[in-house]
Amino acid sequence: MYKYLLCWRYLRTRYIALASVISVMLGVATMIVVNSVMAGFAEKMRDRLHGVLADIVVESEFDMNGFYNSKEVMARIESVAGNQVEAMAPAMETYGLMQFRYGGQTFTRQVQVFGVRPEERARTGDFAEFLVDEKGKRIKPSFEVPESLRIASSPAGQVIEGDPNSAINQLLRSEALEQVPDDGAVIGWAMGTVHREGKDEIILHRGDTIRVIYPRAGQKPEPGADDFTVVGYFKSGMSENDSMHIYVPLERFQHVRRLIDEQGRGAVNQIQIKVRPGVNLDSLKETLQTALEDLRPMYFRVATWEQKQGPLLSAVAVEQSILNMLLFFIIAVAGFGILAIFSMIVVEKTRDIGVMKALGASTSGVRGIFLGYGLLLGAVGSGVGMAGGLLFVHYINNIEKWLSNLTGRKVFDDSIYYFNEIPTLVEPWTVCWIVGGALFIAAAASVWPAQRASKLQPVRALRFE
Amino acid sequence: MMATHLSAVGVEKSYRKGKTQVPVLHGVDFEIEHGELVAIIGTSGSGKSTLLHVLGLLDAPDAGSVVLDGRRIDNQADRQRDALRNNTFGFIFQFYHLLPELSALENVMMPQMIRHGFWAFLRERRRVRREATALLERVGLGHRLHHLPTELSGGEMQRTAIARALAGGPEVLLADEPTGNLDASTGQGVLDLLRDLNRERGLTMIMVTHDAHIAQQADRVVRLAEGRIEEWAPALA
Repeated sequence: MYKYLLCWRYLRTRYIALASVISVMLGVATMIVVNSVMAGFAEKMRDRLHGVLADIVVESEFDMNGFYNSKEVMARIESVAGNQVEAMAPAMETYGLMQFRYGGQTFTRQVQVFGVRPEERARTGDFAEFLVDEKGKRIKPSFEVPESLRIASSPAGQVIEGDPNSAINQLLRSEALEQVPDDGAVIGWAMGTVHREGKDEIILHRGDTIRVIYPRAGQKPEPGADDFTVVGYFKSGMSENDSMHIYVPLERFQHVRRLIDEQGRGAVNQIQIKVRPGVNLDSLKETLQTALEDLRPMYFRVATWEQKQGPLLSAVAVEQSILNMLLFFIIAVAGFGILAIFSMIVVEKTRDIGVMKALGASTSGVRGIFLGYGLLLGAVGSGVGMAGGLLFVHYINNIEKWLSNLTGRKVFDDSIYYFNEIPTLVEPWTVCWIVGGALFIAAAASVWPAQRASKLQPVRALRFE
Repeated sequence: MMATHLSAVGVEKSYRKGKTQVPVLHGVDFEIEHGELVAIIGTSGSGKSTLLHVLGLLDAPDAGSVVLDGRRIDNQADRQRDALRNNTFGFIFQFYHLLPELSALENVMMPQMIRHGFWAFLRERRRVRREATALLERVGLGHRLHHLPTELSGGEMQRTAIARALAGGPEVLLADEPTGNLDASTGQGVLDLLRDLNRERGLTMIMVTHDAHIAQQADRVVRLAEGRIEEWAPALA
């Protein structure tokens, strides 16, 4: 009983020891904040990665030109796992170049071209959610170039004035429609904009013409080129995608790449699959892989979205664990602080320890006082740290605003990640681990001083005057 | 003739000071009977405190033995020695040695808190508190129950320490210069209290002092010189 009473009294009377747990507190708070923010980012990123891809992707592994029997493949998938599949969309993906004119100069950049059917694509992922116009407003998933846009952006259309039905204007109008390509393209937000002074400035407007250069099918791929009209932007929030992806109509792309066989079937090299909720992706993936192996051996590769993005996701996980390790050192350092202060307290309490032993306290009892004290300090430190950390996470966006106002510059530049606020995710288990770890360190740091205290000979302790 | 309560037989003890061994007790034989009040006098450094510590199991002798009611106790396991210190012996120190974080009442409750575990103490706490209060009232500190040691005078602190020594219900009270830090009249008050307790409770009491005047108030006085015990007749002083 005396152990608990003394622990409690020591806690309430030794402020120096409380100071030693401030570092525990800060360590715990920092770890909770960092982990929550990183988990929030990771979660958002996974969401977006998942949205760009579908749940499962079937690809022709070594053949960029793809396969013509996509209908057969989809029928096969339907037959083996029809009850698990919600939607499927074929696509043709290839690397290429994009050329455009801006400010009187021609620019060329490397791109990843996706021939897709927008409506189908929208059903297998978050494609539709990522499509925006110049102002960032959502637009319909379509490659259609509206007539108004063609007239507004063509040289002929711009000189139309007065009565639209006059002969000259009719002529200009048909001229205008010819000056603008029929087929629309959706380009990555970062390809159509430049980031200047914290703002995205549009350099490729809707209606502007871009030229896409791609390898044509054949034993010896030759470059082909085709013009498209920009009809929208793809803004997923993942800079890798937003600076590389360009979406064009699948049929047009098959045509210009010369990937249509004599039966009129166009080739695709990807089938994106969205599964029904609750389906186990990994087991479905195995099923599909086996089923497609029968159809054409050694040709198809089935991968879940996580496998496709494996390196990136594991990089984030590695980052988080390294950061955790480093931050845990803060708490370990705090442990040495506790050790030092505890050693001092034991020296200061030498006489009291002697008295307690004279009154019959056992070695383990004295050890218990200091171990309990250490644990109590750890509990106070990690408890306050936990509360502080969770509060910080809860109000992180208010704090960010306040700090931005105070310092006059944006602490969290939302244009980098396209998040309008800092994403956070508090994982209860992570918090438990952090708090448990801090408690363990505080208790471990008090073991040695407690051991020393308990080994004191009562007489030697009492002679210390 | 009363029976021997506590005795030391051929106790030897030396301390290590740096590299040299400093002998303190060379074969001390000492006995005390039930209910007796014996004073041990001697110059400082004569080993009287050491003898008291050895008798009270605060220190282990290098040679010889300590016998309580015919049973050797100095060679027992730590657990039994802890229990003996808690149940059988009560200590009073020159510098009171109250725990500064605890109130007078809590200091007095300490031996019982040490004796009982958490749940046992919770069950017993009313009785323990009542007894501790009664003890403090007995030593004249009924009005000081909730004061911290720093708020008490020297005499009050020593009275609290005496109450604490009694709280475990001991048979033997060991007092190391109980008045050494008090002025003469306060010291006399403490002595009278000890004497009264010795009479009313039949406590066996060993008191170490270097003051012959104080020693005279004991039933018997022994002198410790050069690590050995000599009988000392008060009349010779």
